[in-house]
Amino acid sequence: MNNFSKNKNSIDPITASVIQGALENIAIEMGYKLMRMAYSSIIRESEDFGAAIVDTKFRQLCESKQSTPLQSGPIPGYIRGICKEFEKRGEGINPGDVIMHNDPYGGSSHGPDVLFAVPAFYDNQLVGWSATTAHHLDIGALSPGSCGIVDAMDVYAEGLQFKAIKVYDKGKKNEMIWHMLRDNIRAAHLVVPDMEAQIAAAKIGSERFIDLIERYTIETVLAAAESMMASSEKMMRDAISKIPDGKYEALGHIDGYEFSENPKEKNLPIKVTVEVNGSDMIVDLTGTAEQIDLPINMPLAGTVDVAIWLTVRSVLCDTATIGNVPQNSGLTKPIKIVAPLGTLANPKFPAPVIARFSPGVIIADTLMHALAPAVPKQISAGVGNLKVIAFSGLEDDKHWVHMEIFEGAYGGRYQKDGMDAVDTLYANTRNNPIEDIESHLPLRVNRYEMREGSVPPGKWRGGIGAIREFTFLNDGGYSVEGEGHLFKPWGFENGSEGETASLKFERHDGKSENLPSKLPYKPAKTGDKFVAVGPCGGGYGNPFDREPAKVLDDVLDGFISEKDALKDYGVIIQNGKLNLNETEKVRNK
Amino acid sequence: MRLIGVDVGGTFTDIVFTDTQTNMSYIHKVPTTPEDPSKGIMQGVIELCDRNEVGKETINHFLHGTTIATNAVLEYNGALTGIITTRNYRDILHIGRHQRPQHYSIMQEIPWQDRPLVKRRFRKVVSERIAPPNGEILEPLNEDEVRTSVKELKNQGVQSIAVCFLFSYIDPNHEEKAKKIIEEEFPQAFVTTSSSISPQFREFERFTTAAMNAFVGPAVRNYINNLKKSISEAGLKTELHIMGSNGGVATADLVEEKPVLTLLSGPAAGVLGGAWCGTLSDRNNLITFDVGGTSADIGIVTEGKFSEASARDTSIADYPLMVPMIDIHTIGAGGGSIAWEDAGGSFRVGPKSAGSKPGPAAYARGGDLPTVTDANVVLGRLSKDNFLGGEMTLDEEAAKRVISNFAKKLELSINETAEGILTILNANMANAIRSRTVQKGIDPREYVLVAFGGAGPLHGAEVASELGVKEVLVPPYPGITSAVGLLTTDHKYDAIKTEFQIEGNIDFKKLNTDFNAMEEDLSRQFASQGVDLDQMKFIKSGDFRYAGQGYELRIDIDSKEINELNIKDIFEKFHQNHLVEYGQNYPDSPIELVNARVTGIGKMPKISNNKLNNSTERNFQKALVKNDKCTFRVEGVLKAYDTKYLIRDLLPISENFSGPAIIFQKDTTTVVPPNCSFTQEESGNLFISIGTK
Repeated sequence: MNNFSKNKNSIDPITASVIQGALENIAIEMGYKLMRMAYSSIIRESEDFGAAIVDTKFRQLCESKQSTPLQSGPIPGYIRGICKEFEKRGEGINPGDVIMHNDPYGGSSHGPDVLFAVPAFYDNQLVGWSATTAHHLDIGALSPGSCGIVDAMDVYAEGLQFKAIKVYDKGKKNEMIWHMLRDNIRAAHLVVPDMEAQIAAAKIGSERFIDLIERYTIETVLAAAESMMASSEKMMRDAISKIPDGKYEALGHIDGYEFSENPKEKNLPIKVTVEVNGSDMIVDLTGTAEQIDLPINMPLAGTVDVAIWLTVRSVLCDTATIGNVPQNSGLTKPIKIVAPLGTLANPKFPAPVIARFSPGVIIADTLMHALAPAVPKQISAGVGNLKVIAFSGLEDDKHWVHMEIFEGAYGGRYQKDGMDAVDTLYANTRNNPIEDIESHLPLRVNRYEMREGSVPPGKWRGGIGAIREFTFLNDGGYSVEGEGHLFKPWGFENGSEGETASLKFERHDGKSENLPSKLPYKPAKTGDKFVAVGPCGGGYGNPFDREPAKVLDDVLDGFISEKDALKDYGVIIQNGKLNLNETEKVRNK
Repeated sequence: MRLIGVDVGGTFTDIVFTDTQTNMSYIHKVPTTPEDPSKGIMQGVIELCDRNEVGKETINHFLHGTTIATNAVLEYNGALTGIITTRNYRDILHIGRHQRPQHYSIMQEIPWQDRPLVKRRFRKVVSERIAPPNGEILEPLNEDEVRTSVKELKNQGVQSIAVCFLFSYIDPNHEEKAKKIIEEEFPQAFVTTSSSISPQFREFERFTTAAMNAFVGPAVRNYINNLKKSISEAGLKTELHIMGSNGGVATADLVEEKPVLTLLSGPAAGVLGGAWCGTLSDRNNLITFDVGGTSADIGIVTEGKFSEASARDTSIADYPLMVPMIDIHTIGAGGGSIAWEDAGGSFRVGPKSAGSKPGPAAYARGGDLPTVTDANVVLGRLSKDNFLGGEMTLDEEAAKRVISNFAKKLELSINETAEGILTILNANMANAIRSRTVQKGIDPREYVLVAFGGAGPLHGAEVASELGVKEVLVPPYPGITSAVGLLTTDHKYDAIKTEFQIEGNIDFKKLNTDFNAMEEDLSRQFASQGVDLDQMKFIKSGDFRYAGQGYELRIDIDSKEINELNIKDIFEKFHQNHLVEYGQNYPDSPIELVNARVTGIGKMPKISNNKLNNSTERNFQKALVKNDKCTFRVEGVLKAYDTKYLIRDLLPISENFSGPAIIFQKDTTTVVPPNCSFTQEESGNLFISIGTK
């Protein structure tokens, strides 16, 4: 192959760039195939899956661009967990093996995110791993679905646990495992094909990785990988170096179980201290609440680390500002994480963790809060959190499960309003089209709109949340897993705080009740309806500094009233017309 | 029949004339007049006719590729647009799929929120609601509310309105009624309905498509009216046909109604032109490779047929778009692509481009960043005196300066840097081709790469070699392949109906009725334009998936009437295609028919080829401009080779020469690396055989 002259690195920059492009292309193909083959909407529509190639030192070389960060990010940790398990058992890894793993104490983010890994062999040597993860509809927990299992007492109650299970052994399918899966998982007619799609995509990734090695030699590919990681690490180190050395802290809170009588289960603090020293960063979660016997504990590897990595890189190496940043383990090298054992952010086995999703958003958000004074032009004010409702039922003796993720919103940003009604931070899934939901499930979506009259003021206002309503057209059941009912997203530099989310349940018989952000499985009757009001992000900067024309825009668009314009922004608008003179007087008072 | 094809690009307007009786064709190129493109068009058409003594009034068909709609979207300067939508769903256009375009970014923009096609103040809601599966009316349309909304929009100064109701693809009745009311209340407005534009499920994508149609509607309507007027004022008595993104033409009237169908008209014509050049040499498995200054468009033609993009993959300016389009993969790689060092110190090329202003440093228009064109100049592949047929001189010194500045940063030699830029660019382009071939179960080694556009022939051979492709075809006029493509097309209209029918429970009567109704609609449309019945053809297909999946695969349906028996063959084909496309299938799982489709084709006369004469003018000595050094990398070693520089128009026919060679012609330069050979064919095509790298 090419013998470009060597410069300061062990590989020339041209070959390094070519190989990096090829690796990215492999990950894209894996994601593309998995998503298109997948059966359950949580994978194919919400894109709650991941795909990556990992080297033998458990470093991620590339990840699929379509997938959600919370899925691809943990893959190296899963592979490490698998290898540890094999070592413990004294078991070997062979060509043709396909390994299933979902151990939240061995790298997995939580049990429903099952990984399938294909070891890549070249010349009988293990040279890396190709792996896919996906959030499965059901994994055999105590109640249907894999979200809203908010009452599990330990990991055993959260569903099946797979610790480095060979579903193919040297190329031979282990049929017994598959029988067991079919018998223990609800909606297996959807989950099993999704798993098969994962395996197919992981096999393709491994084949392509080997092809690449054959084209360029193993030494060249590995040298290119080293150079890519060094380059990503340099990007991150340069960005960290720009922050003045010192300590930056913030305190956030999660609802926990807002209706619980146990004070240890609600209003739980998340403490983040960032220490910057040159190009190194320590993110310390000391001060975060102790772990509890309910599943909002967050695995350190797989959830907490991903939340931290994602936030640091989104803020410091923002792709909108600096362009494509190769995603690999080099980016995370300068960041050290400290999380005391026995806290929500580093629970002890077998503490339950399945509902760790929305608390993790608060870790990310609190970290951004801590970084805000250091890099005020690169952050958003407080972010509105997410919620998942698992809808389920039986039709013709078959389970149907549908998990819908309810969006949050971002806080205001320097020179920009917050993003409205989007998934936030480490989650980036998609909603399901109303026309798809109603065509295939006994559900009606009665409403999907933006909130009005509750826009968090700021020089750059908070992003606006959405309202969605769902009605059961048949008897079924539901469970809820979310956050953000009690604590408003933080405002920045005199911007207002954001707005909380809420969830109302209107029963078919006319009674209604407000639901907490976490609710274990409950049966539902035909005609029962949810009204989910999404949160709004915090405001950024003094609202009285907001450009009057932008205030007028929000009035004309029906987000705020003329009265609010005066009260919140000191802007006089009468009959849709801006009065600049009067505005100036009010604002100068 | 006499046909004229006009393709308007950013810089040039290309015109091709053909007489199908005599097989004579003429070409002409004039500068584009951006303020009113019809000016440049008519000037060019008149010049072409005058120069070649063609009577303007004898032209039968005028075929046109336009970027008016595309530019309105890219530049975000369409009409002030409103929508009328179902109550309780006012913000579908704003929320989208609630996904951020970028995972790792706080400061990103969301196109549909930051550049809304329709601001919220112009999104009016009315009571009405239809439900699946059969269009049950949960709430009838409140016509008074529609009337009030129209009046409000009119008072607000809106020029264009889209009607977007949920589930209108099942029953368009409410949308049609609302449209009628708008036409009564506000006859000047441009009106469109989501069900008439794209009657498929997925509300955000359908509503966006309809809103975009309304957004570009008035500009396209004005443009077409201007052009029609100029055409008739110039004494032409021909009908105007406009190229659609689906690879067929439509009448001007239809495009006025559905301008959104033309958003990819230019690249689509390129694929057709490339495919036509392939047929001249009996090649029908082709990769079309159209490279300009900023981007490369890649299309795949298998057995003479191009593939259509899946409805979920089509977008423009990051807005989703659900209309039939040729599957064209566009990447930011072209002659103007800029080489740069990223924040981590890695060597990158593109996607940013110097464009034509300031352009590469070699253009001497103030560009001072190293580009692909500059790298080609440094290596001797572009010659300062033979660029654009000598119409433009290249500044070699400037090219060397920018490349050597960049080389210092990388600690590489200037030649290594220049060649490195090309290697990275070529690798990016090869990856893009892999994503449409290898990744979809297609072996590119069985395909011919058709390289055209200003920069395609410069890179074609090296990209082909990267992919294991054995032959590169360079069309006779690589710079006007899109305009030629216009003269190879038929009228093509698509009809679609969402079915959601599952294997084992298929309502054949409904399905056949739906297919027949679509076919009748299309044939009425053709009849109204005067197309004879024997010139019409209808192709049935379906979008299928395993029940539960979210992405469909298109399967052609040959049977006239679908029944219990022949549907098994269709399903079998789906299982097979699924295996090829994804490497996996689920033979035991039930299949769902999501959309039924009919494509109607109304035959048009086409350009045919005039073969080259092997006159005495054509011989190697006359063709040879000079022998000089040109730098190539062969088997990993970078070296300057003695290279022939030749004029393509003077190359002898059917003689094989070995590379390395640089071949000049007016609209492009072709690079033949060492270890490759080339032949100018009688058909007009130039072939490069790729040797080992």
